[in-house]
Amino acid sequence: MIEIQEIGRTFPTRDGGAFEALKDATFSVKDKEFFSIIGPSGCGKTTLLKMVAGLVRPSSGQILIDGRAVTGPGDDRAMVFQHFVLLPWADILTNVGFGLEMRGLSRRDSREAAKPFLERVGLTRFADHYPHELSGGMQQRVGLARALAVAPDVLLMDEPFGALDAQTRQLMQEDLMRLWDSEQKTVIFVTHSMDEAAYLSDRVLVMDTHPGRVREILDVPLPRPRDESVRRSATFSDLTAHMWHELRGMIGDPTQPAPE
Amino acid sequence: MVDPETKTAARRPKAPAGALDRPFSRGDAVRWIVSAGSVGAVLLLWEWYGRAQETSLFFVPFTGVVAALWELGQTAEFWTAFEQTIIPFVWGWVLSLVVGIVVGLLIGAYPTIEALTKPYVTFLNALPVSTLVPVAVVLMGIGYASRVLVVFLFGVIEVTLNTAAGVRYVDRDLVEMGRAFNASRWRLFKRIILPAASPGIMAGVRIGTGRAVVGMVVVEILLVAVGMGRLILRYRGRFQSAELYAVVLALILFGIILQVVARRVERRVSRWKYELEGAP
Repeated sequence: MIEIQEIGRTFPTRDGGAFEALKDATFSVKDKEFFSIIGPSGCGKTTLLKMVAGLVRPSSGQILIDGRAVTGPGDDRAMVFQHFVLLPWADILTNVGFGLEMRGLSRRDSREAAKPFLERVGLTRFADHYPHELSGGMQQRVGLARALAVAPDVLLMDEPFGALDAQTRQLMQEDLMRLWDSEQKTVIFVTHSMDEAAYLSDRVLVMDTHPGRVREILDVPLPRPRDESVRRSATFSDLTAHMWHELRGMIGDPTQPAPE
Repeated sequence: MVDPETKTAARRPKAPAGALDRPFSRGDAVRWIVSAGSVGAVLLLWEWYGRAQETSLFFVPFTGVVAALWELGQTAEFWTAFEQTIIPFVWGWVLSLVVGIVVGLLIGAYPTIEALTKPYVTFLNALPVSTLVPVAVVLMGIGYASRVLVVFLFGVIEVTLNTAAGVRYVDRDLVEMGRAFNASRWRLFKRIILPAASPGIMAGVRIGTGRAVVGMVVVEILLVAVGMGRLILRYRGRFQSAELYAVVLALILFGIILQVVARRVERRVSRWKYELEGAP
């Protein structure tokens, strides 16, 4: 269980004041849950995810994982990044094994241990290619394999499909769904796509902005395992319609008067 | 990222392919011919102008210089001079690379060390290093040590600055990724910062090597008449122009060889970067 308790984050501004990016965020994520965080740009959702990763310190509040406070990065968590962040000078297999290498395995052992994970994302024949030779979707598969290879309890995904085109994105969602069905890990998934959040998640946290806060947490009552057909169900469209209703007021539309 | 699933990779049979491995193209051939033609034209002009002189006291045709170099190459004196020049050079050069890379890495990684060394780096960078040659000689005599020191001073600054810049501009996302995977400081350095900074380091090595060659010649001509420098001064004094030019030509060849080797190593180490951004 991951408990986020009254997390706040303020940044000093140039005029000596303080900018409040996150305020009193409190919620918890259950074990083996697929939990999405959705919100407009600048609501602090990525910051929140990086705090769980131990990369950013909260200004106030604390995060507990299985009762222990997060003070920094740990072997129990692995992250997938929006822009993939692969080592450009290393081949694909070395990239997948990178996390293991950081755990202390030798280069050779980590490459060997990475093979099944590369296979799981269907890229075995690209093992000795370099990242720049792969498409965005393939690069993100590598990013995902790298995270899975360290066998984390918690997978932290920061808009992982945000840099991909629409078709690739949908394909990746389905693949992730299948992977998660077989892996059963806790996933915290940051996104700005309502479809994506509804399709993948057990629960969706909708964030408010200025400052970033928890607006509401939605249950996704769609049966699992899910396939493409759930996207056409009434539950799905009700859910995304509701999210849109919640979010549209926050996304400042210059042609409309400000919401009350 | 707008490409659908299979982009280049499926078409490409084997990694690593890219700009640097492409077959010798027509464009390359044309560029090579233009360069060679340019050198050929200048040599021809040199030859013609040299032959048109009444005396070979001041200006010697190219073939005369080559002949003199060939002659010099047969003498033990030339090779002794070369050795006298080269040994302190190698020491000073290696020292400048080692110190430059280590200090550059530290400057790039620790703001405190940057603040600590900045005045000296600025000072060395602002000054023609030649002005320090007399100081080095007064300090360390006209022996071996002062020559090593001068070569070192000439080379070290470029290596340091380029290494520090290489470290400073390491992709922040890569560092964050390493931290997210719980990398220790040492592993972060070894597997992310060092390889990411290596194009900067190698640029420093290449430029620093060129500067060190300059230092090697300058010290021998300015103050300590030994080695190749002594030969230059002597032939100049006797108006043996063909020999004088020959020694200079030998030094140029030496410098070019080092540059070519340094550039090759640089291309190898920095290949991944060129493939991302195109070769410089």
